[in-house]
Amino acid sequence: MTDLFSGLTQEIISGIALGSIYGLIALGFTMIFKATEVVNFAQGELMMVGAYVNFFFVTTFLSASGTPTAWTFLVALGGSMIFSVLFGYILDFIINRPLKDEPIFSIIMATLSLAIIIRAVVAIIAGPISLMPFSPFGDSTVTFGNIVVSLVDLSIIGSAIGLVIIFYYIFHYTRWGIAMQATSEDPIAAQLMGIPIKRIYALVWVFSAVVATLSGILLAPRIALLDTTMGFLGLKAFPAAVLGGFGSIPGAIVGGVILGVIETVSMGTLSFHFQWIKDINDIIPWIVLIAVLMIKPDGLFGVEKVKKV
Amino acid sequence: MKRVMGTLIIISLLAVGCVKRAPSPGVTETEILIGNVQDLSGPMKELGAVIPSGSNMYFQYINDQGGVHGRSIKMLIEDHQYNPQKAVAATKKLVEKDQVFCLYQIIGTSPCEAIRPILSETGTPLIAPATNSGTMSDLSREAGDLIFHTDTGYDRQAEILVGYILNQNSDAKIGLVYQDDDYGENVLEGISKAESEHEITVQKESYQRGAIDFKGQTMNLLKGGCTDVIIAGIIREPVTVMKTAEAMNYKPNFFGTGPTVDARVGKLAGSAGEGFTATYWAHMWNSDAPGAKLYRELCEKYDIPEPYIGLYHYYGFATAQLLVEGLERAGRNPTRKSLVRGLETLKNWDVGSFPPITFGRNDHAGVDKVQLVQMQNGEQVVITDWLE
Amino acid sequence: MKGRYEDENLYWIPVLIIFVFLLPFILKGLSFSYKYYLFVLNMAGIYIILNVGLDLLSGFTGLLSLGHAAFLAVGAYSSAIMVDQFGVPFWLSLILSPLVAGLFGFVIGFPALRVSGMYLGLTTMGFGFIVRRMIIAFREWTHGSGGLDVSSPVLFGYTIKTDWNNYFLIYTFVVIAVVAGRRIAKSKIGRAFMAIRDSEQAAEAAGINLAKYKMLAFFISGLFAGFAGVLFAHTNSFISTDHFDILLSIYFIIMVLVGGVSSIYGAVLGTLFIVLLDYLFVPLLKDQIYFWFNTQAGDIQSLIFGLIMFLFIIFQPMGLYGMWLKMRIYWKLFPFNPRQRFT
Repeated sequence: MTDLFSGLTQEIISGIALGSIYGLIALGFTMIFKATEVVNFAQGELMMVGAYVNFFFVTTFLSASGTPTAWTFLVALGGSMIFSVLFGYILDFIINRPLKDEPIFSIIMATLSLAIIIRAVVAIIAGPISLMPFSPFGDSTVTFGNIVVSLVDLSIIGSAIGLVIIFYYIFHYTRWGIAMQATSEDPIAAQLMGIPIKRIYALVWVFSAVVATLSGILLAPRIALLDTTMGFLGLKAFPAAVLGGFGSIPGAIVGGVILGVIETVSMGTLSFHFQWIKDINDIIPWIVLIAVLMIKPDGLFGVEKVKKV
Repeated sequence: MKRVMGTLIIISLLAVGCVKRAPSPGVTETEILIGNVQDLSGPMKELGAVIPSGSNMYFQYINDQGGVHGRSIKMLIEDHQYNPQKAVAATKKLVEKDQVFCLYQIIGTSPCEAIRPILSETGTPLIAPATNSGTMSDLSREAGDLIFHTDTGYDRQAEILVGYILNQNSDAKIGLVYQDDDYGENVLEGISKAESEHEITVQKESYQRGAIDFKGQTMNLLKGGCTDVIIAGIIREPVTVMKTAEAMNYKPNFFGTGPTVDARVGKLAGSAGEGFTATYWAHMWNSDAPGAKLYRELCEKYDIPEPYIGLYHYYGFATAQLLVEGLERAGRNPTRKSLVRGLETLKNWDVGSFPPITFGRNDHAGVDKVQLVQMQNGEQVVITDWLE
Repeated sequence: MKGRYEDENLYWIPVLIIFVFLLPFILKGLSFSYKYYLFVLNMAGIYIILNVGLDLLSGFTGLLSLGHAAFLAVGAYSSAIMVDQFGVPFWLSLILSPLVAGLFGFVIGFPALRVSGMYLGLTTMGFGFIVRRMIIAFREWTHGSGGLDVSSPVLFGYTIKTDWNNYFLIYTFVVIAVVAGRRIAKSKIGRAFMAIRDSEQAAEAAGINLAKYKMLAFFISGLFAGFAGVLFAHTNSFISTDHFDILLSIYFIIMVLVGGVSSIYGAVLGTLFIVLLDYLFVPLLKDQIYFWFNTQAGDIQSLIFGLIMFLFIIFQPMGLYGMWLKMRIYWKLFPFNPRQRFT
């Protein structure tokens, strides 16, 4: 019995880590949607870019210094952050300006084609040889009694918690943050209040790009090989965002974590006891999505906006 | 008036249609055109870059010496992204639009199965498909007489592995992690043969192609008490399984089939990959076999970048040797038939890259033995002789 | 009846149809690679049939479907299983399989009633994943991810093989599908669809039963897609779940969008444009730059494709049909044109 318990706990912790990643992607995605009504289907690809850029920085600094040290990773992190800020600005320029008021159909298609473009560009630049990501934590684990947790997972959970706290602070206690909230609530009123919404939009995109990059950096050590198909993981962020309730920041994270836990537990313990579950493992998030939309379309924390005719 | 003109144009075009003739495919005075379809941008794009590169290296070497009967070899590569439908489209393009002489090295079991109708309809041979599936040498299948297979089938590999494991430990409890598609299906065939031969049951855990998490399967194997686990995967899968097992403190003997013999499996798995043993159907590229030596010489001569050199690049090289031999034997005026007949005359043909290859009218399976290669201290070491 | 159609249509439609059936002969005369071109056109034809239905759903009714490849898969697999495993004759499968797909349309229609816009897109996307997974799960019939060999179509005792014969089979149905699509579009149903797209509340206020028409839209688009699926399975002689993925669904929507939503002819143009681009034009481009970018060819293809899509969306939201119409209007000397409805 304790065997089952410890196995389950390990899975849950791993699931929380995985789910935090989903949550972070969902967060970036939600931010953009809330503020600009743009559905960013390329969010997963932004994460993938972040992972690759970080890898690039790490290998460049590695070849300069020889052995990986804490500094290598920190500097790489810094480089990736700067890149993501620039990237966010560029994306805002490409997507937001021309497409701000187009029907949702076009916006979805635009971000989808952008995803295709980004994937192709990264694949061409990175070349066909698979890249093995480095992790500052390597394979080390920590043991609590029966339960083994990898440092990588702990770092993910820790970072996610830290980021949520930082974001909460930003959105509720800084001017820009409050301005972002106001803009997403009611852009016209915000404009009337003197908030420079064009700049807010750019800021939102930058923010999402940063979040996506961070999630990419965190995720990379968990998968053995860097691959441009990493972006497809981002698709799972959509059910997470819906589950948590669209437009809600804590919701995005909570939704992600729940989905992550469901995923790992179903792949592990549940699959062992109920063989048939193996067959539907990868579609559970989508079943959840449809179920949520049927039963409680606002999700767990969602705030529904009433649209005028 | 417009309509009259239109009709006249259509009629004249139809008239032209009766006059044109198709040329003989792929062979000119100076050149032989070969068609290859690889996964260039999909899940296995790395192989798609490295394998043909090895072939092209050898073709370059041959062309520099005057080619085959005075003709240089040119290879066209299309992309199928491991999608059988795209493979069909790509193959049709090569055969019907580019008019290649023969097809070569097409990668993937499903893609190769999907294009059989094209092969039989056009009479195009497929030389050395890049898949270990035993179905490639199955003459009862459509177009089987046009396909020449160089690799030991997955089913044979699995069978041999089970035999070997039981030899080392007759009480072994064997587990299998397999990909849920044609690859896995072929492996399962071998496993069930072995099961009935040795009267044991193998615990089988499947995964979907492209899966990245194996906690469930590994946990199941642990609970099933497996002492030896065969992983019928590619590269990422055995690495992830072994790492997952290590994290769970589960240490069975790990074995692998087919593509898992790539050195990267051991490297990526780190300490978890120590002792990993894979089946291999050719001589190691870094061994003393004459083919391997030639390979290394050519790599130096043509300045092949380091990340490319290795098992898959060598595979491209070795199969290219076979193709060239076939083209030689096809004679001064090669036709597709003469290529097929030529290859069928190979008896114990051995240039030191593969073990001796024999083809015949009723035998299109070139090799059916393997040696076992084990990861020891981060290096691959051959630990057995040729096993059948 | 005549008054509803623009006068132009009446004489050039039969000419166009004759051209379509003469095309193989023309191609044969022009190039010895004609078989390959026929193959590409066959693929386009099958997709045209599907896209007519998809256009009715997403273009006319405004219900975004990002999972339509699933319907194609349902049609394909149903037919393959019916014909090869249960001995159903091909012509009967042509009737039954679309119905199966239409049924699936009903199934997704239910949740679709409650959501709209992006949520609908996500729902249909999820549906696409779920159906695909279900197909793999029913291994006994579908052979899982390994794929199925499918027999060739047999009609009136003839077995139809080779791209040449397939062309005539497929394009007969393409013509029928396009005519049917236009009929539906111009009928009361079509108008109801457009009313729903333009404003659900207003449509309801005008007495249109939203649920009924939305379900109908899903059902009809399922029928078209299922029909395309039958043709797809039997002319390709091999189907596997690899093909029916989210990328294919996105391709379909792109074809409809590029062609110009809410225009059946637009769907045809868009499909032809994208398929020809993907199979003929881009590879030609790629072959030119082959020696520089060697083995990353596939990625270059995706890149060019994505760029074209993106630019189209930004600069030409009316799509190809819109462009065509604008061109036509431009060439008219007098401003007295037939009604300028974009249907």
